Amino acid sequence: MHDPLKFLKIQREMPREVPVATRVLGYGEIYGQFDAEGVANQAGRCLDCGNPYCEWKCPVHNYIPNWLKLIEEGRIVEAAELAHETNPLPEICGRVCPQDRLCEGACTLNDGFGAVTIGAIEKYITDEAIRLGWKPNLSAVKRTGKKVAIVGAGPAGLAAADRLARSGIDAIVYDRQSEVGGLLTFGIPPFKLDKEVVAKRRTLLEGMGVRFKLGVEIGRDVSFNDLRRDHDAVFLAMGTYRALDGGLPGLHLAGVHPALRYLISNVNRVMSWRDDQAPIDLRGQRVVVLGGGDTGMDCVRTAIRQGAASVQCVYRRDEENMPGSRREVKNAKDEGVEFLFNRQPLAILGDQQVTGVRVIDTRLGPPDAKGRRRPENVPGSERELLADAVIIAFGFEADPPDWFASAGIQVQNNGRTIVRAETDPLPFATTLDGVFAGGDMVRGADLVVTAVYEGREAAGSIAKWLSVA
Amino acid sequence: MRQAGLYDPAFEKDSCGFGLIAQLDDKPSRSIVSAALEALSRMTHRGAVAADGMSGDGCGLLMRRPEAFLRRIAAESQIALTDTFASGIVFLPHDALAANSARAQIESETRAAGLEFLGWRVVPVDTSACGPEADRTRPEIVQVFIGARDDTDAPAFERALYQLRRRCEMALSDVRDFYIISLSAHVLAYKGMVMPAYLPKFYLDLARPELASSACVFHQRFSTNTMPRWPLAQPFRLLAHNGEINSIQGNRNWMRARGPRFRSPLVDYRELQPVVSMEGSDSQTLDNMLEALLVGGMDLLHAMRVLIPPAWRDREDLDSDIKAFYEYYQLHMEPWDGPAGIVMLDARYAACTLDRNGLRPARYLLTRDRHVVISSEAGVFDVAPADVIEKGRLGPGEMVAVDLLRGEFLKSRDIDAINRARAPYKRWLKTGVRYLSNSLIDPSLAIEPMDSPTLAVHQKLFGLSREERDTILKSLAESESEATGSMGDDTPVAVMSQKPRSLFDYFRQSFAQVTNPPIDSLREQRVMSLMTQLGRECNIFEAAPSYAKQIVLNSPILSQRKLKQILSMSDFGGHVEIDLNYSSDSTLPQALDAICARAEEAVRGGTLLVFLTDRHVAPDKIPVHALLAVGAVHQHLTRAGLRAACNILVETAVARDPHHFACLIGFGATAIQPYLAYQSLLALVRSGQIKRRFGEPLELGRSFRRGVRKGLLKILSKMGISCVDSYRGAQLFEIVGLASEVVERCFTNTPSRIEGAGFAEIEAEQRELCGKAWNATTLVDPGGLLKFMQGGEYHMYNPDVIARLQAAVRSGDYALYREYSEAVDSRPPSALRDLLDVHSPNAPIPLDEVEPIESILKRFDSAGMSLGALSPEAHEALAIAMNRLGARSNSGEGGEDPARYGNEKSSKIKQVASGRFGVTPEYLINAEVLQIKVAQGAKPGEGGQLPGHKVDEYIARLRYAKPGIGLISPPPHHDIYSIEDLAQLIYDLKEINPDALVSVKLVSHAGVGTIAAGVVKAYADLITISGHDGGTGASPLSSIKYAGTPWELGLSEAHQTLKRNDLRKKVRLQTDGGLKTGLDVIKAAALGAESFGFGTAPMVALGCKYLRICHLNNCATGVATQHQTLRKLHFVGLPEMVEHYFRFVAQDVRERLAALGLRTLDQLIGRTEFLRPNAGAGPKQARLDLTPLLGDGLASDAPNCCIDERNTPFDKGTLAAQMLSDSRPAIATKAGGEFAYRISNRDRSIGARLSGEIARHHGNLGMSEAPIVFKLTGSAGQSFGAWNAGGLVLDLTGEANDYVGKGMAGGKIVIRPPSDAGFEPKNTVIVGNTCLYGATGGEFFASGRAGERFAVRNSGALAVIEGSGDHACEYMTGGCVAVLGRTGLNFGAGFTGGFAYVLDIERDFVDRYNPELIDIVRISTEGMENHLSHLRELLRRHHLETGSTWARELREDFREVLPRFWLVKPKAASLESLTETLKRAA
Repeated sequence: MHDPLKFLKIQREMPREVPVATRVLGYGEIYGQFDAEGVANQAGRCLDCGNPYCEWKCPVHNYIPNWLKLIEEGRIVEAAELAHETNPLPEICGRVCPQDRLCEGACTLNDGFGAVTIGAIEKYITDEAIRLGWKPNLSAVKRTGKKVAIVGAGPAGLAAADRLARSGIDAIVYDRQSEVGGLLTFGIPPFKLDKEVVAKRRTLLEGMGVRFKLGVEIGRDVSFNDLRRDHDAVFLAMGTYRALDGGLPGLHLAGVHPALRYLISNVNRVMSWRDDQAPIDLRGQRVVVLGGGDTGMDCVRTAIRQGAASVQCVYRRDEENMPGSRREVKNAKDEGVEFLFNRQPLAILGDQQVTGVRVIDTRLGPPDAKGRRRPENVPGSERELLADAVIIAFGFEADPPDWFASAGIQVQNNGRTIVRAETDPLPFATTLDGVFAGGDMVRGADLVVTAVYEGREAAGSIAKWLSVA
Repeated sequence: MRQAGLYDPAFEKDSCGFGLIAQLDDKPSRSIVSAALEALSRMTHRGAVAADGMSGDGCGLLMRRPEAFLRRIAAESQIALTDTFASGIVFLPHDALAANSARAQIESETRAAGLEFLGWRVVPVDTSACGPEADRTRPEIVQVFIGARDDTDAPAFERALYQLRRRCEMALSDVRDFYIISLSAHVLAYKGMVMPAYLPKFYLDLARPELASSACVFHQRFSTNTMPRWPLAQPFRLLAHNGEINSIQGNRNWMRARGPRFRSPLVDYRELQPVVSMEGSDSQTLDNMLEALLVGGMDLLHAMRVLIPPAWRDREDLDSDIKAFYEYYQLHMEPWDGPAGIVMLDARYAACTLDRNGLRPARYLLTRDRHVVISSEAGVFDVAPADVIEKGRLGPGEMVAVDLLRGEFLKSRDIDAINRARAPYKRWLKTGVRYLSNSLIDPSLAIEPMDSPTLAVHQKLFGLSREERDTILKSLAESESEATGSMGDDTPVAVMSQKPRSLFDYFRQSFAQVTNPPIDSLREQRVMSLMTQLGRECNIFEAAPSYAKQIVLNSPILSQRKLKQILSMSDFGGHVEIDLNYSSDSTLPQALDAICARAEEAVRGGTLLVFLTDRHVAPDKIPVHALLAVGAVHQHLTRAGLRAACNILVETAVARDPHHFACLIGFGATAIQPYLAYQSLLALVRSGQIKRRFGEPLELGRSFRRGVRKGLLKILSKMGISCVDSYRGAQLFEIVGLASEVVERCFTNTPSRIEGAGFAEIEAEQRELCGKAWNATTLVDPGGLLKFMQGGEYHMYNPDVIARLQAAVRSGDYALYREYSEAVDSRPPSALRDLLDVHSPNAPIPLDEVEPIESILKRFDSAGMSLGALSPEAHEALAIAMNRLGARSNSGEGGEDPARYGNEKSSKIKQVASGRFGVTPEYLINAEVLQIKVAQGAKPGEGGQLPGHKVDEYIARLRYAKPGIGLISPPPHHDIYSIEDLAQLIYDLKEINPDALVSVKLVSHAGVGTIAAGVVKAYADLITISGHDGGTGASPLSSIKYAGTPWELGLSEAHQTLKRNDLRKKVRLQTDGGLKTGLDVIKAAALGAESFGFGTAPMVALGCKYLRICHLNNCATGVATQHQTLRKLHFVGLPEMVEHYFRFVAQDVRERLAALGLRTLDQLIGRTEFLRPNAGAGPKQARLDLTPLLGDGLASDAPNCCIDERNTPFDKGTLAAQMLSDSRPAIATKAGGEFAYRISNRDRSIGARLSGEIARHHGNLGMSEAPIVFKLTGSAGQSFGAWNAGGLVLDLTGEANDYVGKGMAGGKIVIRPPSDAGFEPKNTVIVGNTCLYGATGGEFFASGRAGERFAVRNSGALAVIEGSGDHACEYMTGGCVAVLGRTGLNFGAGFTGGFAYVLDIERDFVDRYNPELIDIVRISTEGMENHLSHLRELLRRHHLETGSTWARELREDFREVLPRFWLVKPKAASLESLTETLKRAA
């Protein structure tokens, strides 16, 4: 019998964390796994609210209370099936979602009791199901013979591939990289998302009939027109790869690295994959990371693991207003990162090689129309930080390839692809018939889970357009 | 004719006082007539009085033919009478032409019938005895004389008169005012719309000394309308009825259905159809029915017991022959269920009967000069005590009759003896009836499991979501009961939804409210029955063994095996199987045509079983919803006169919860096999989601059926219906949102007032489901109807709305409130009001010209939420906030801590609910408003339960209960079974607290307007109309979802009806249910509300996150829990948050008023011209027609809001006033004293005013040491000693009526018969029904027997009586009751605290108590010394107080009688704990 007061009797507990001293020595994931009893206890804390705030806040609206109940009862396979109904990549979201800002942040128990450990449980469900040999069962799906090309094997592309396969549509995923996953693989450090997890997902997808064509760049290796001709529809999910640099003086200096380049380099090195560019190794260096988002957190923690002499993170607002996940900030602090809040970088200093960063103190001004308080510089508070390496993590913008224009796919001024609204009968359709787009390239750099959501919804829209659904 | 608004006279109800007086030897006398008239005038308080003080709702007299008088007046009018003649009074139109043609019609029909027309006489009346209202509608009144030919025998003459009258009625049906009061050689009736005292002044005949009769039946009416209609006054031609026939709709429908099969060798009914009236008063229809049976050849004792049988099935004390009599007739005719007290008079008998529930009072006495008198109240006849040889009361299902032919007074037993001997019923049943029990069923017929893709197809096709499966189905099968939920239903009603919704969702269950009581189907199971028979219904006039050839099932819910078994019985009538799946290139109406044609053809060909099945699904086929099919077939066969010749069996996927079954049965299905429910459950077992209990074979289907049966009984009982036979086809639903084309075809005559989805929309939704069902890639719908789910049904309190509201009230920032109100006001149209736009012809005005926030806040109440449902912290925060705002908070049910009286934590509204928890004199005087909660939106017609884990020390103290023990609120108020009872309770409350306003809380449903009108006539000052969406701390989910209607409908109907009856000015109208923003207030005001109740919103303001887990006591916000940690550490609510909320809403209202160009809210009330319907969203909404809400077609000069300060009762309570003025100084100074008065049944609520005064000075018990004694003599009126306070001693020599000592808190009530009484006190009733209801303390001694439900919900009083009726000590939670004599049945149902002693001389108490919660033990001389001496002491006290000789004898023979005593105790309490209680008390 379920005990309605379990949430009082059992405290919120995450799976055991690898101690800092050990974890910074390598790139393994820092969270362990629950055991069956532990997961049942943690899941059993759920109140099964009439208003499931977790589900509401979740961008893909996972049926969280429902699968918590299933896992409490030890019904792993059903829980995994249910988790996949809303989320094509649950084990990935379980690892990389900022749950503290989403489901767990909204959890009723987050007010004074400690939220249910939703992310860790989500991860447990799929990992365990896969370990037990579960895979999506498509035996009842009637093949439609339709073929859809997906450009980009990142979260949006993979999510769309999953949904299309489940609708009996052949999905062929193209990616210019040699591995699937996009940012999941190259952007997110392995200590947050073990690359083996992405590989397993690839196997599952292939088992569902999804085909991957890797190392193929559209517009270079295959023309877009050929792609359209050979498929019934196209889904573009190419992400955002144009790094913002804030126009700071000194960007050209040696030792200044764009965040993504740094992260990709590290993954290639850890995974011993081929890399066309020289590896970036920050061992023994004084590292300053500019920017307070999740990418910034990935960079500081990677730098720690590379054995940097010191790692500082510079952010222009206060901690309260940081966009990055609280959990990641905490992890970074635990691992020895120093945070410098309320500092605006003014310039990167140095001759050839970077030597430091000039920053100025800020304070928060009055709230703007959206209620967000803009930082203002405090006159006379300039100072210099010493640095051997500076990583720029100001964010990314969409970067549409040249063939967009000739094909007639319209974009906004900021480069984001224009698609039809979600309330439209055919959401995510671009201005070009039969071509859909979703993920970061449509909405700008955002969470993995929002990309998953858009991929999922776009697939539904494509199926509708193909008169399959 | 379609009504312009929502008011419909078909909803009118009435109730009353009634009686009978007869001389056993049929000796006529003037004194009988005089006594009847006098008795009638003494029951004036049971009727209603119009504003003119003279017009009543009608009263009348039906007397045995006054032979001498008739001959005299005939002679005066120069009418020559034949030997055998009949006479009757006739209403005619004033228009001479019309009147003459009516007369001519009667004359010619008389001749055509072979009778002799003898003459007309104008009945002399004095119109000055008529109030202006009554006089305006008064018809011409004449008397007709008709003679028989010499060779006609009396019954034949009566039959001829009946046929003659029916023909005239049919021929003159469109003549206004034409009505024959009676036309008989045996009886004569007078009736009119006057007050009882004026009846003999109006009808001069009644005052004539030579008017002598040997028997009279009389009646005084209380109607829920003010529009006098003379024909509806009672008695009718044979009977007068107090109460209501709950099953009337079903009874009428079945009479229509059995039309051609209803034939007597004596009368040809075919040309007289309809035999019973299809509309108008239920009593009138019953009278028609009884009359039809009598002229067809039955006698009164036979006919009446067939129509209104007692609950016979589970009665161990009835012999099997009489049970067979009842069973035989029930195979052919459904019972006419009460609540009913009926008095009758025909050629031979004067009789009285109560229905099986016995909810109407009837007291009788037999005098030395052989008169029998029966009446609703004791004390209406003056008989010297010495002349009374027997006194008694009718119990449930009892009947008494005076056989005027043989001069005998027959009791139930005597009547049973006559009936059982009429035919060898038992033998017939033995050979004819097959009882299909499970053991007889071939196991090879068991269900074969579906594979999982097939199951998924079915689940998708028939809309079974995972949520429904996991919540509803699983609970029914696992716990054998319905799932419980909390909070309200915040989803759109089906027609407003943008999703495909189950057809069942359009149907709202009817429920009993004020004019009749619901039943407690759990605690009073004995009266309930789901027995269902299969077989041809036969002609009731021809009893024959072959007619007993029937199959009897214990319930209408079939297993697959049972269904197969029935269908395979080749010798049983045969069946036709009709597939409900139709080809997708056809349409739904065409499919219904084909189904009906097929059924008709088969039944015409002699097929007995019409078997409808939706099992044969296919991708190219569309299923007809089983409810549509059942409704269409039932209506079609009824119209064709074939329905009674067949049974409708249904095998369907759509029936899953009790409501579904109720709908199918209510619209005509005989029995149902719910295969998809079984299959879905089987799959859950296969996948391990339902666990096998160790070793036990899992009988999931059986458990599921048990759960459904329980739910079904609850639905029946909600409407006060006992037998599924009376429910079948009774259509006890209101439809919200179906088009007329659907209603007329499938659900004919079911109330449905705003149009809605038609066949096209229903079909389109089903086609949408079909599309998904056969697409393997579409998943089974996850749900979202019960709890919010993204992509599921819209929820009006969704997480976004909650979050915004909390942000606003925590910050106090009006801009954030605006974000909240914007989210609410611009939601997708979900509530009916969302389809009404506000607009104004006026130019906007500046905001500062609008009335201030403060004056708007006065109109806001918080809705009743009990301490118990809420934590003390939340409850107090709410009270503080409302008090600071100058608004009112509502205590809810459950009492209030006296520490809160008189300070800012006090709730200004004190609720009086059916559990009467903590309702003490002090509680009642600490209120500005006393609210009688008749029903609550989340579960109207049901009681409640506070689970034991929520009853902590504090709550137990406030509720006078024990910690940890669950508390039950009964479904009805046991002192409100009808409108005149409500009037009495209102009177009681106004007596104890004359300063308080009395409010009555009702739930919206079709007819609530009419009830509201009755409530105003019962002198309520405020009425709340709650929507179906109100919240609850715990209710079965199906109650939350399926009962009550949106408040927009109920409020409009109430406003329109009150206005039409010119009662609107007397009452303040409030509405509640999901009100969230200023816009809601504005719309409610325009629809007629002047005050507004808020429940959920202020709770949310205090931190509630709408988790719907209130019933689990684990509310993480500390709002709805009693858990210490959660309350102390996690409740964050502050009164300021609530204050912010209400100020925001008030400000919102002001801004909107300014925009409308209005300065005050008063200017908007009832002004529907400020509302304009919009088209809504989607095809279903587009077909709604909300104009009935907006227009009532009335002139607008009647007031739109309350004008009168107070609604003051007609009865000024002169004796009570005298008593108070005499004793006031003695109370104020706590001096004590003794006073003496005479008392009559017209002196009601005696003691209440004194108790109020005492409580005001000294609290509940503060005057206990200085008692003030009132010595009274006579028959006390109702509610004697209500809420008796400490120190008040009422010492009555005589007798008392119902509700003695209700709510007694302290002091003492002693009642003894007069010393010269001619009867044996211990066998004689001395107090009526429902005494000590909700008592919390005090002592009660009565030397005599008590009526039904003695000490119901007693929680502290000590009482000694000498016998009791049924259901004594029901729901008792404390105190001690000693019954020194026989008790009725069902003693101690729901008894969880206190204890009782029962003397069991006949040694049959074991069959008479309800063993569910209590143990009975002998009082041994060893180890139980405390009880022994306690009992002995009680006997001593009883003798001392009342002078009871019986108590003295028992004491003298104590050793001998001790072994005949039982000690009754709750199972949950140990003997030791009781002993402790005793020791402490000593």
